[in-house]
Amino acid sequence: MALDRLPAVTGAQMREIDRRATDEFMISVGQMMELAAAGVRAAANAELNSIDGRRIRILAGPGHNGASGLVAARQLANAGGLVDVLLTRPIWQLNTEARHHVATLMSMGVQLCVVPWDIEATKLDTALRDSDLIVDALLGYSAKGAPHGAVADVIKRANDCGRPLLSVDLPSGMDPDTGLAVGEAISARATAIIALPKTGLLSDAGRQRAGSLYLVDIGLPGALFHRQGIEFEQPFGGGPLLRLS
Amino acid sequence: MVTHSADPSATSAISEKLGLLHELDLFRGLTDADIAAIGHATTMTHCSPGQLLLSPDDPVERIHIVKKGRVRVYRLTPDGKQLTLDIYEPGTILGDMRMLGQDRLPEAYAEAIDAGVICTIGQDELGRLIELHPTIGLNVIRHLATRLHGAERELEAMAYQRVGQRLARKLIDLGQRFGVKSVRGTIIDARLTQQELADMIGTTRETLAHTIGDFRRRGLLSTRQQRVVIRDAERLLEVARGGDG
Repeated sequence: MALDRLPAVTGAQMREIDRRATDEFMISVGQMMELAAAGVRAAANAELNSIDGRRIRILAGPGHNGASGLVAARQLANAGGLVDVLLTRPIWQLNTEARHHVATLMSMGVQLCVVPWDIEATKLDTALRDSDLIVDALLGYSAKGAPHGAVADVIKRANDCGRPLLSVDLPSGMDPDTGLAVGEAISARATAIIALPKTGLLSDAGRQRAGSLYLVDIGLPGALFHRQGIEFEQPFGGGPLLRLS
Repeated sequence: MVTHSADPSATSAISEKLGLLHELDLFRGLTDADIAAIGHATTMTHCSPGQLLLSPDDPVERIHIVKKGRVRVYRLTPDGKQLTLDIYEPGTILGDMRMLGQDRLPEAYAEAIDAGVICTIGQDELGRLIELHPTIGLNVIRHLATRLHGAERELEAMAYQRVGQRLARKLIDLGQRFGVKSVRGTIIDARLTQQELADMIGTTRETLAHTIGDFRRRGLLSTRQQRVVIRDAERLLEVARGGDG
C-alpha cells in the first residue's frame, strides 16, 4: 500500500486517539504496547531476514516510546535475538510502565545499561558498531524541541556508527508534524509506524529520514477513528504488519 | 553563632556544618541552639568525585544525607556490571534504611559524582537526638511515611498514572493563572495545602503526596512553603497529555 493513501495525523491528533483508546474504548496502554512491539519485531525480522542469533541493540528513552522499545526487547530476545538495551535515564526515573519492563528484562538476563553512567563513550561506540540492527525507541510523537543530554548524544553516535537503524513510530528527533529535525535526529533505514503515519512522514525531509516504512496494527477499532473524524479502511487483513511503498 | 574552638579552621568547619544542618529536612523546626548541639553528634564529610559512599557490606547503623553535590546509586548485574538506578540531588537521605525500619537500597552502591558534602549520623546518636529533640522524631516519622507511600505507589501504578495526569493538568492550569516566572521555574503563587490540591483533582491527600513526591524525584517540580515550582514545564505537559515522552 502507498503511504499517501493512508490518513496522516499530527502529534496532537495522535494524542487524542490514544486518549480515546484508553478512556472511551478501554484499551490499555499495555495492550497497545505489546502489539506495537510485535510490529517492531516483525519489521526487524523483515529487515534482517531472521532475528535468531542476530545482535540487536535497543535504544530506549524515558517515555512510552521507550517502554515500547523495552517490550520489543523482550519479544526480540524471545525470538532468539542477542538483545541488549541502552537506557538514557536511570531506572528509578523511568515511568512506571518502563520500570515494569526493565524488571522483566533483568529477570530474563537481558543486558541493560544507562548512558552515560554505565558505559564509557568508546565502549558505547564499539557496542553500536557491533550491532546487526539498532532499534530507535528514544522519542515518540509527544517529544518536543531538540533532543538534549544523553538522548542527543546517543542519536549522534547511532547515526555515526553506520549500522542499520529501525525507528519505532518515527525517527527520534524528527518533528512529528513537519518532518524536520530540530536538532540531532535519527536517520533510519526503516521505520515501524504505529497505528497511523504522522504528517511529518509525508514531507520530503521526513520520508528521507524515515527510510523504508512499515505500518503496525495496534488493534484500534474503526469506530475510534470514525469518532475522531478519520475515515480509515484498515488494511490489515493480511496481518498486523504492512509494508508501505 | 556558637563556636567551640579557637582554631579558625575548626571554627569555620563548625560554622559550615551548622549552616548545612539547618537546611536538612530531618532538623526542620529546631532552634539554632538545638542545631548547635546536634552539630557535635553528626559528621560532615567532604567527598571527591568517584568516591564510594555506600555499599551493601556497610554497617547498617548509620544514615547519610546528601548535602552538596550529586550521588549516583547503582547495583551490580549478575555479571558484575554497574546499572544506574538513580541520581540523587542534595537533600536526599541515602543511608541504609534498615535502622529506620526500611530497606531502601537493597544491594545498592552509592558513589559521589561531584565534589560534595555528606552528613552522617549513627544509630545511637540519632536515638539520643530524638530523646532530646522530639521534633527530630516527628521528622523521621514524616520521612518514613513518605517512603512508605512510595512503596504503596508501586502497587497502585495504574491508578497513580491517572492521578498523575490529572495533577499535571491542574498544575499547568494553576501555573497559567497564578504562575510567576523565576530562574528556578514557574512558581505557582497560591498557597495550597495538599488536601486542597487533592480535592481539586478528586483524589486522597495520601495519593497526592505519592504523586507530588514522584514528580519531585523526576525533576518536574519542587515544593517550598506550600508553593509548587514547576521545574520542567515541557515534561509536565507530556504527563498531562498522558504521553510522558
